[in-house]
Amino acid sequence: MHFKYTAKTAFKGLSMNRMRSFLTLLGIVIGITAIILVMSLGQGAQNLILSQIQSMGPKVIAVAPGRQPKGITDMLSTFTDSLKEKDIEELKKKNNVPHLADIMPIVFGSQTAVYENNAYRPTILGVTGLFTKIYNIYPNQGRIFTDEEVKGYADVAIIGSKVKTQLFGNDDALGQRIKIKGKSFRIIGIFPKTGQVSFLNFDDIAIIPHTTAQQYIFGIKYFNRIVIEADSEENVNRTVEDIKITLRNNHNITDPSKDDFFVETQAEALKMVGAITGIFTLFLAAIAAISLFVGGIGIMNIMLVSVTERTREIGLRKALGATGKNILTQFLFEAVMLTTAGGVIGIILGLLLSFVISFVLGHYLALAWQFVIPVQAIILGLGVSTLIGLIFGIYPARKASRKSPIEALRYE
Amino acid sequence: MAIIEVKNLEKTYRDETETTALRGLNFSIKNGEFVSIVGPSGSGKSTLLHILGFLDRLTGGEYLFEGKSMNDYSDEELAQVRNKKMGFVFQAFNLLPRTTVLENVKLPLLYSAVKESLWNEIALKAIDSVGLSDRVDHESARLSGGEKQRVAIARALINDPSIIFADEPTGNLDSKSGGQVMEILEKLNQEGRTIILVTHESYTAEYANRLIKVKDGLVEFDGPIVKEHKQQNGFIK
Repeated sequence: MHFKYTAKTAFKGLSMNRMRSFLTLLGIVIGITAIILVMSLGQGAQNLILSQIQSMGPKVIAVAPGRQPKGITDMLSTFTDSLKEKDIEELKKKNNVPHLADIMPIVFGSQTAVYENNAYRPTILGVTGLFTKIYNIYPNQGRIFTDEEVKGYADVAIIGSKVKTQLFGNDDALGQRIKIKGKSFRIIGIFPKTGQVSFLNFDDIAIIPHTTAQQYIFGIKYFNRIVIEADSEENVNRTVEDIKITLRNNHNITDPSKDDFFVETQAEALKMVGAITGIFTLFLAAIAAISLFVGGIGIMNIMLVSVTERTREIGLRKALGATGKNILTQFLFEAVMLTTAGGVIGIILGLLLSFVISFVLGHYLALAWQFVIPVQAIILGLGVSTLIGLIFGIYPARKASRKSPIEALRYE
Repeated sequence: MAIIEVKNLEKTYRDETETTALRGLNFSIKNGEFVSIVGPSGSGKSTLLHILGFLDRLTGGEYLFEGKSMNDYSDEELAQVRNKKMGFVFQAFNLLPRTTVLENVKLPLLYSAVKESLWNEIALKAIDSVGLSDRVDHESARLSGGEKQRVAIARALINDPSIIFADEPTGNLDSKSGGQVMEILEKLNQEGRTIILVTHESYTAEYANRLIKVKDGLVEFDGPIVKEHKQQNGFIK
C-alpha cells in the first residue's frame, strides 16, 4: 500500500463532507481539550499550591479554632473563639512544648482604611513581629513592629503595595497616618509587590499588632489562628502532639474527639492538596473519557454512514484490484485521520484555553500561576485520539472491506 | 490458447428465495477474441460477465481463467488478477467524483506493485491513447458522457490487461460518442487484447467477431459475426 496515496485518499474522502467531518470531530475535540486543560491547569494549580505551602516552610504548624466537622449535624457545633491568650502562654512553656521555636497569634478581617479622601478595604492582619520571618517576606521600606510595640498596643501598620497605591498614589506613605475603624495608625513599613503567598495576597494587606487589632479593630478576645514554628523538621510531629496535649489540658478536654481546635502541618496540608487535586483531576478526566467515548461513537456512526454512501466507490475499487485489506486500511485511515485531527485541534484549543486562564489568574488575581505546557498530556492526547480512531473505526472499516465488489457496484 | 473456459457454469442467488441466474453454460474464449454477449434483460448476461470478470463467485460448474480454476483463487488473488490482467468498463462509468481525470486513471495503480514514480507517466500515456490529453486535469464530473467512458477505458488499460470486460459501455451514451467508444474497443482488440462486451444493442454487439446469446441462463446461440453483415447494416463507417 502506498502510504502517501492512502493519506491523500483518506483526506479526499473526509473533505467531501467537510461540515459533517467537522461536526463529527467535535466530540473528540472537546474530550482532548478537556484532557489538556485538566493536565495543564491541574499541574499549574498543584505547582501553585505547593509553592504557596512550601513558602511557609516545613517547620510551620498552624492551630485553628473549632474542629473538623465529622458529619452534617456536626457542622453547626464548631467553635471559633476557643484560642485565647492563655493558650499562647501555655504553649510557650518549655515543659509543655519543648521544641517550639516561635509562636505567633493571628487575628484577621476586612476593614476600611482611610487616608485623607481615599478609602480602601484591605485585609487587616493582627500579628507579631515574627510575621515577616514566618512568611519570609520583609518590608522594602521601613520596618516591622517590635515586641514592645505589640505589648504596648501600638498604633503602627505595615501595608502592602496595592494598599499604598490606593491610599497614597505616588506620594510617600512612610510616617503618614491612616485611619482604620476610626483609629489612627502610623505607617512604619511597606511591603514590596509580592502577589499571592500562602493563600494571602501580600499586596492587599495591612498588618498591625494583634493586641491593637483585638482591642480596637475587631473587639475580640480570641485568635483566628496560632502559628507555631518547630525548632527542626524532625520535631514537627512531636510538637503537633505536644500542642494538642497542652491545648486539651488548657481547655479541660479529655476526649480527643471533642477537641475545639485543630492542628495542621505543612505535610498534612500537602497531602490534602494532593487529595483534592487528585479528585479534581479524576473528575475532569472522567468527563474527558465520557466525551471521548461519545465522540468515538459519533465517529463510528459517521464512518458507517460513509461506508454505506460510498458502497459504489468500494465496489469500484475492488473491481479495479483493491483487496479487502486495502479497503480496510483506507477506511481505518480515514477514521484515524478524523480523530487525530480532532486530537490536534483539541490540543491547540486546550493549550490556548489553559494559557488564557493562566494569564487571567496570574494577572487579575495576582496568583503566582505559571502556564504549564503538559508534554505528557500532548502525547497522551495524540495517542488517545489515534486509538479512538482505531477502536471505533475498525468496525465500519471491516464492514467496508467485506463488501462484495458486485454487490457494491450494483448498489444505487 | 483459451483464456476463458466455462464448463456447466451455474449461478444461483440465495436470499429469501432462490433465483437461478445461470443454469449450466459451456463455451471457451481464445486470446484476442472480441465477443459480444447479448440477451434480453434478466437473461443472466450481466451475471455471466461478473463471474468471468472475477467480480462474483460461481455456485456450480467450473470456470478456468488462463487454465486455472476460479475456485482455486482466494479473494485476495482474485483482486490481484482483476488488477493485473483484467480491465473493466461499466455502463455508469464509475469514475470517482470530484477527482481529476489523471487521478481516476491512476486508481488501479494504487493497488498494483508499480512504482509510484512511474504512475503519472503511465497514466498520461493511457489518457493519450483515448485522446483525452487535453482533459488530464479536468474533474471527472465536468466531462461529457463519451469523455467519461473514454476515461474509464484509459483506467481499464492502465495495467496493460490481456482482457477487457465492458458492461453496456454505450448504454448511457448518444450514438456518436457510443461509436467512438466502440471504435476504441475495436482498436484495442486489433492490438491483441481480448474483449468481452455485454450489450443489448445489436449495433454495438456487431463490432465483435463472435456473438454469444444468453437466454434464461443458457447459451442460446454461439457463433461468429460475419463482417459483410456488419457492413451491410452500415454500422462500420
